[in-house]
Amino acid sequence: MEKGKPFVASLHEAENKLELSLRQAFVNLEPKLQPPFSLDIPDPQEFLELSRAILYAVLCDSGSSKTHIKHLHAVVTDGYAFFTSLLVGIVLELYGKLVNSAKVQLLWLTKEMVSVSSVGLEDLLVSLLRRIGSGDYGDQNVWLCYELVSLFLDKWGCLLEDVPLVLTSALYNFLRLLADHCRVTGIPKLEEVKRLEIKFCVRMFREQLHLSLKIGRDLVRLLQDLVYISEFKEIWNDLICSDILKIYQSKTSSRYFLLRITPEMETQLRFLLGNVKLGSHKRHQIWFLKKFLLGLEKGTLLIDIVRFICCVVHPSNEIIRSEIMPRWAVIGWFLELCRQNHHVEPRVKLALFYDWLFFDERIDSIMNVEPAALLMLWSIPQYLHITHSLLEFLLHLVDTYDVTRRDMIMRSVASAFKEIERKGVVQSLDMFLSSPEIAPDLKKKLANLLSCQQDIN
Amino acid sequence: MHVFLKDIVPAAQNNINTRFIILDKARSPPAAAAAASSGKSCIALAADETAAVHIQLWGEECEAFEAGDIVKLTNGIFSYVRNSGLLLRAGKRGNMEKMGEFTVAFVETPNVSEIQWSPDPENPKRYVKKDVVSAYSRIFPPLP
Repeated sequence: MEKGKPFVASLHEAENKLELSLRQAFVNLEPKLQPPFSLDIPDPQEFLELSRAILYAVLCDSGSSKTHIKHLHAVVTDGYAFFTSLLVGIVLELYGKLVNSAKVQLLWLTKEMVSVSSVGLEDLLVSLLRRIGSGDYGDQNVWLCYELVSLFLDKWGCLLEDVPLVLTSALYNFLRLLADHCRVTGIPKLEEVKRLEIKFCVRMFREQLHLSLKIGRDLVRLLQDLVYISEFKEIWNDLICSDILKIYQSKTSSRYFLLRITPEMETQLRFLLGNVKLGSHKRHQIWFLKKFLLGLEKGTLLIDIVRFICCVVHPSNEIIRSEIMPRWAVIGWFLELCRQNHHVEPRVKLALFYDWLFFDERIDSIMNVEPAALLMLWSIPQYLHITHSLLEFLLHLVDTYDVTRRDMIMRSVASAFKEIERKGVVQSLDMFLSSPEIAPDLKKKLANLLSCQQDIN
Repeated sequence: MHVFLKDIVPAAQNNINTRFIILDKARSPPAAAAAASSGKSCIALAADETAAVHIQLWGEECEAFEAGDIVKLTNGIFSYVRNSGLLLRAGKRGNMEKMGEFTVAFVETPNVSEIQWSPDPENPKRYVKKDVVSAYSRIFPPLP
């Protein structure tokens, strides 16, 4: 029987609390993990310890996993809620420290939890989806992607019945990944992954359209990057012919934007936007850049980060009034990073303005459109090129994003501007309209756009 | 007891428990420091919410810690090291452990290694602050 430690040990690193608790439980209970098992029903405390010990045993020993899981089945009384929560903890806190064989075991346990439809299964699958790194084509990451898309296809029936919304999350995730994966060639395993991703996504649209549409308007944004793939061309045409207005009008829930942000990235972005003061942020920025954004294929991650910042990180008024890094400044930095990357820059700008195009003050949050407005405004004095390029891009979107629904988009963008003024995000739209720095043709176009709404009102 | 960096005082005692984030690390060990000791060492800039300090990493610590790492120091010592000035280090009896990354909002001034200390007239065993030599680190100046 081969036994190994499931976590990579590093000499100068404090042991994680969860890791410690699992290891200690295993050390204490190891003799009890082999048959014959005790017939006594464990008390609640013993049950928690036993769950930890079983989990650790499975992670480090593939030889007796089936015995261990039977043991768990025999003692479980909470619908596997505790065991699943431990798995979620491992995925969120310790995934990077797992040795390869332990990752295989983790996926095996996940499939077991799907089979028993454990309490908390959706959290577990979502946390694993977040572990698929963007722009990372190393063996380990491609393997994880392959395992998960296979799981969603193989366990389709169970998942549909027990946790249907996790299929919607998987659709968002794989549509987004496909846009990146289809730009990479020459990795045999990735070709297989792409084939399965397409298969899964197409199946969702064809068999579970109502679940697919639950993504809301960002579904259109994701799909438009894939229309050149024949399988999606048809789906796109069907969608456009259907009631696309309804899709535009349904705001995408923040849960989906988290899917392409790893837990570490989330922690660091939230810290940057909640604790770091503007002016003393440089080192944090450099660390973030080095950890997450270096690498040729990492650029598209900025699209997901900008969407995450606009739609998920909504700082309190107290933070907004403080010296803490505002969202617009961080986004301005990201825009500068992808400047002149023709593949990434327009998609990052679209991510920034996406909610403007369909803005309805009754359902949309002012916080989703605030960063773009402030970035345009505060860039005027020193970074006029940013103001110009953003305003130009927005006006261009109004004209071209969906020509048949141009009027609706015009009204939405105008109402986003009005709401920004009404809520006091900017004191007055005259700060744009009468700014001596902003190019006259842009000001004129903007004035036209704003007058369209007055006509209607 | 955990102390903030602003409260550490030079002393010949291995009793400082603190946590800080590493901001920058000298690429190669300064020749003087390397010559002064037989082992490999390097100097780094560390900080917490209250102050910054120069730290000395020793042997494997030099590779184990990177800028952005949050480090817990147990039983550390803050004292003069010949040719390198005032340094905070683990020493033989102390220990440094990485406990996270990124999530410390730090300040780079004052830097307690850039303060001149002198014996307390009332208690010659203690040191008190005399002059600020430099507000910021002179080895690792703030980013432009």
